[in-house]
Parts: sequence; C-alpha cells; structure tokens
Amino acid sequence: MAAAMSKSDALVLDPARSIGRRPVRRPMPKLWLLVLPASLFFLIFFILPVASLLGMSFNKTIPGVLGFSSALTLDNYVRIFTRSLYFDAIFRSVGIGVLVSLVCLLLGYPLAYVIARTKVPARVTVLTILVLSSMQLDMVIRLYGLMVLLGDNGLINQMLLASGLVSAPLHLMYNTFGVVVGLVQVTLPFMIMSLIGVIRQIPPSFEEAARSLGASRAAAFRHVALPLSMPGILSGSLLVFAMSISSYVVPALMGGWKVLVLPIHVYQQIAEAGRWQFGAAIAAVLFLTSLLAVIVYDRAAAYIAGGRS
Amino acid sequence: MTEIRLDTLTKRYGTSTAVDGIDLTIGEGEFFSLLGPSGCGKSTTLRMIAGFVTPSAGRILLGDDDVTALPPEARDIGIVFQNYAIFPHMNVAANIAFGLKMRKVGKAEIDKRVREVLAQVGLEGYENRYSRELSGGEQQRVALARVLVTRPRILLLDEPLSALDKNMREEMKFWIKDLQKSLGITTVYVTHDQDEALTMSDRIGVMERSRLVQVGTPEEIYERPATLFVTGFIGHSNLIDVTARPETEGHCRVHFAGADFSARVRGALDKETPAQLAVRPENVIVDAETLPDGVVAFPAKVVSETYQGPIVRYRIDIQGTTITAERQNQAHRPRLAVGDAVLAGWDPARCETLLR
Repeated sequence: MAAAMSKSDALVLDPARSIGRRPVRRPMPKLWLLVLPASLFFLIFFILPVASLLGMSFNKTIPGVLGFSSALTLDNYVRIFTRSLYFDAIFRSVGIGVLVSLVCLLLGYPLAYVIARTKVPARVTVLTILVLSSMQLDMVIRLYGLMVLLGDNGLINQMLLASGLVSAPLHLMYNTFGVVVGLVQVTLPFMIMSLIGVIRQIPPSFEEAARSLGASRAAAFRHVALPLSMPGILSGSLLVFAMSISSYVVPALMGGWKVLVLPIHVYQQIAEAGRWQFGAAIAAVLFLTSLLAVIVYDRAAAYIAGGRS
Repeated sequence: MTEIRLDTLTKRYGTSTAVDGIDLTIGEGEFFSLLGPSGCGKSTTLRMIAGFVTPSAGRILLGDDDVTALPPEARDIGIVFQNYAIFPHMNVAANIAFGLKMRKVGKAEIDKRVREVLAQVGLEGYENRYSRELSGGEQQRVALARVLVTRPRILLLDEPLSALDKNMREEMKFWIKDLQKSLGITTVYVTHDQDEALTMSDRIGVMERSRLVQVGTPEEIYERPATLFVTGFIGHSNLIDVTARPETEGHCRVHFAGADFSARVRGALDKETPAQLAVRPENVIVDAETLPDGVVAFPAKVVSETYQGPIVRYRIDIQGTTITAERQNQAHRPRLAVGDAVLAGWDPARCETLLR
C-alpha cells in the first residue's frame, strides 16, 4: 500500500508528466485493490509451484515419489556439477542462447532499422504485421513446417540433391543447427520489436548531424546510431537469451532428443524417470543461469549508460 | 568565404514538386533567409544544399565546386538543426570534437580548438556536461560550436530558434547575427518567422508553394512586396479594392472613393483594371482635423478602437470600406473615440498596387 502511494505521487509530481496540469495531491483511492486479483493469481499459480519445486530439489531423489520432506540434502546439485552429462548441458544451453541472440541481432537489426525509419504509416503497419504474423500460428505447428523444409527428405535437401550440388542429404535438423534455426524463428519477432522501439527514439537528425560533420554512413552508424540503440540491443538480447535457454519444445522437436540442453534433462528426469527431486534441481540451475544473465545485462546497461544516468 | 549558387534546383516526389527550379546566388559572407510557411519547400532546399536530399534536377555550387553529387560528409558544410541534435551519449567536449575526429585531426590540436570554440560561444567549463544538463540556449551554442570548430565553408541553420522560449529567442537572434558577422561565414537561415528574417538577414528569399517568389533586402521585402502572398505573409496590410489605369513605367493611376492618385505598381498594365492597393496599418494616417501635405485624405469614421500598449489600433470606415490604422500611443496625441468623424488617408508613395 505504502509503495503504491509513493509511486503514484511521484508520477503526479513529475514535471514532464504534469505539463499543463497542476500537480494535485488528493487522497489516493484504494488502487492496490485493482492489482490484488493478478497478484493472487501470480502467487498461487506461479510463485508457489516454483517455490515448492525449488524446495523439493533439496530432497533426496526417490523415483516416483512426489512430495516434500524435511530431510534436506545437496546431493542433487553435487550430481549436476560432477557429472559431465549435466554439467555440459549448462554450457550447451548458454552457448545456444548466446548464439541465437547474436543471430537474431544480426538478422533483426537491419529490418528493425528500416521499419523504425519508415515514415509512411501504412508501410509501417504492413511491415509490423509481417513481423508479428509468424506469431499467429502455434509454435509447434510452425516447427513442423520447419521440419518439412529441413528434414533429410525435406524441400531443401530435395532441391540440393536434384541440382547435384550434394550427393548425400545434409543433416539440417536433429542437431544443434536445427535447434538454433528453430529458436531464431521463434524469438526473432521479439528481438525486432525491442529494437524498433529504441531506434524510433533516435531522431534522424542525429545521424544527419554526424554526416555533415564529416562521418561516412558507416561511421555515423558506428558512432551515433549503434551506441544509442544499445538499450534495445541489450533488452532484445536478454529476452531472446532467456526464451532460448528455457525452451523445451524447440530442442525437443528440432533436436530430436540429441541436443541435450537443460530443459530436455528436466523433462527426461521428471516425465520419463519420475525423479522429481533431481529434475527440480536442474530446473533451479536453469533459473539461476537466467538470473545471472539478467545481472550481467544490468551491469552492461549501467556501464554503457556511463555518466548519463 | 564562399558563394552559394543554386541553378534551377528542383525536387520532385512522384507527381508533386517540393522545390521548383530555384535560381539563386548567395554572396560571400551574406546572411540569407529562406522565409515561407510550412510546406513551401524551404527546408527541402536547405536539405538539398546539405546533401540529405538528392535534387531531381539542377545544380548546387559552393564557390567554384559543383557539390550536387557529393555526399553530406564531403561537402564541408555546417548545419544546425531545430532540435540541435547534440549527441546524448557524448559530453559537450566529445560532441564538439566529433567533426575534428572524423577529419583525423590530432588529439592536442582537437583539445586546443575545442577550448577556443567554447570560449568563442561563451561556454568555458562546459566540457563535461551532457545535453540533458543544458538549457535550450546552451544546446544551441554547443550545436553552433560543434559546426564552427570544423571551419565549414558555409553555415546552414534550420529554424534554430523555434524550440526556444520568447526571451531566449530575442537574445539568440542578435547573438547569432553578431557571431555570423564576426566570422564572415556565408549563412542560409530557414524560418517561417518573418520577424527573425527581417531582423537578422542581409537578404530574404520568400518561398510560396515550391517557388522563390521574391528576393530582396528586408526593407525591399517589407516596403515593396511583389505579390499578394508576400504582402500578406510579411507583416499586416490593408488590401483595398481600387481601379488602376495605365500611367508611366512603374506607376499607375489609382481611383478609390472619389480620389485619383499615382501609386507604384510592378509590371505593366495596358487598360483600366481592378486591382488592390496594399497599405500598411502604420502608414494609414488618422486625425480629427488635418492631415499633412501629400497625403490623400478621405472623410472617415472611427468604427472601433483596440488598445495594445505602445500602439492603438483603429478600424476606420471610408465610404463602406473598412481599413485598419495604427497610431503610436503618445501623450501629445489625444486618442480618438468610436463614432468620431475624422480624416484618414495615406502617402501614395508608401503604397503598392497589386494587380490580379
């Protein structure tokens, strides 16, 4: 309640927001009542399950047993960090997450730049719909489409074989390549939308000023547009990274159980072996990895903002 | 010191023409204003000179160099934008050093020139500030320092005062003008504000619907507007329906409300024709009893009075035509009252006849 009050007051008194209006202090209505339903939902259906899973990860692993006991142990975590099968999966997950973020950035930036700089509203709408249209279909359906394209008997291999460019089909899926392609397809719209928002905030006159001061197109981009896009690059990368390392469906379908990332292990332990406690520990490691990425992002953002904040 | 020449400069977007065949020479060290309402093509013209917009036809020359095909970075031009475009991720010193860094000037030389230019614009000690820590006027000075430090051949100013409040605008008007004169740099100033153009310019080019309709000194533009548009856009004018008959070259015989007098006209007329006589409100003389010699006088009636501080504005009826007159609010001149029968008139030498 107190937090809600002070935040609302700050909004009213902020001079940038109260232009033309007098800052008014009137007794705040009970706004916290409005956030109560969502908060309750969040608590019951998100925080509680995640917390109980986390708690369970400190119990001894007994296949088929689902429940919480007071006998705590670190066995599950020791096992993760001593068995290379699990330990490697952490680095595989992080590596794929970083790679997918980079690919999304390289593919997404030029398109986001063009959309952000387009002045005709109708064209902006069409381009934005194109970007978002890929999200209209369910992810699983889109991935099946991708499999039709990338499979050993898929369209790409059929064309390559028919043209005589290759003598045997290329393995484009059920490996890391397939997982990365699948993840890029799923996360690219999020990267593009993050970038558009930030690039739109950069007035074109900044780059024009740089040009007339003697900077080439490339130099103007490097010294002005790129540094000013950094907030969007960072937030887009973080979003894509978090989505990538937590994705289960994409590695399951595109990796064909051969690309063993953390979510695949979680699924195998819980759904196939019934080892809830160990699966929960892997999930906790996945969560901590994500959290670490957020901290790194935050530090990077503060560093880039430099003396400006 | 560089002369700017625009040779039938044209910009078309699809079927619409933004700038239509501008021919113009701006002299060395001249302060030239492009004045016109929004959408008249003045900004497009400036952006073509800067190199941000590629002309559809025509040429741009700086001195003897044809720069029409050069990219902006190769033109050696300084431009100040309406929003100043101070890079927010660099401090003042880095902003000013930017152009020198792009020109590969040495570090020691950069430091020296940044200090010099900051002193020149009166911002010593501002090196480490960021744009959000500067007032509008200070940002304006930084933007000017940033282009002047590169010693550009010409200076382009795109409505640089429109984002400032009124007091700051008055101050910057004279500051920019003085700086420009002391540097002797050829300057093109784009504005929609006639007051800025009249105060600051050596010459003004008035643009209307993609065309340059009149070029002249502030005095020429104000005293002898060439078209109805210029008359209406610069200051206020009474436009009085009259009949004009041919007289000598440059003059015509004007008939209005029973009086006949000679007035200036541009272009020739071969027969009696309806026209409009443009008379500035400050040139309409109103008095209760007598008017000076040389003034065409009409019996008139005061319709309304508006007190505006330094001046008093009257609406005067002359035989069914209502015109506006302005009088200095001076102690020795008694104010007129609504309904008073008065004498009103003007010196024909200060009127312009506009043919349709």
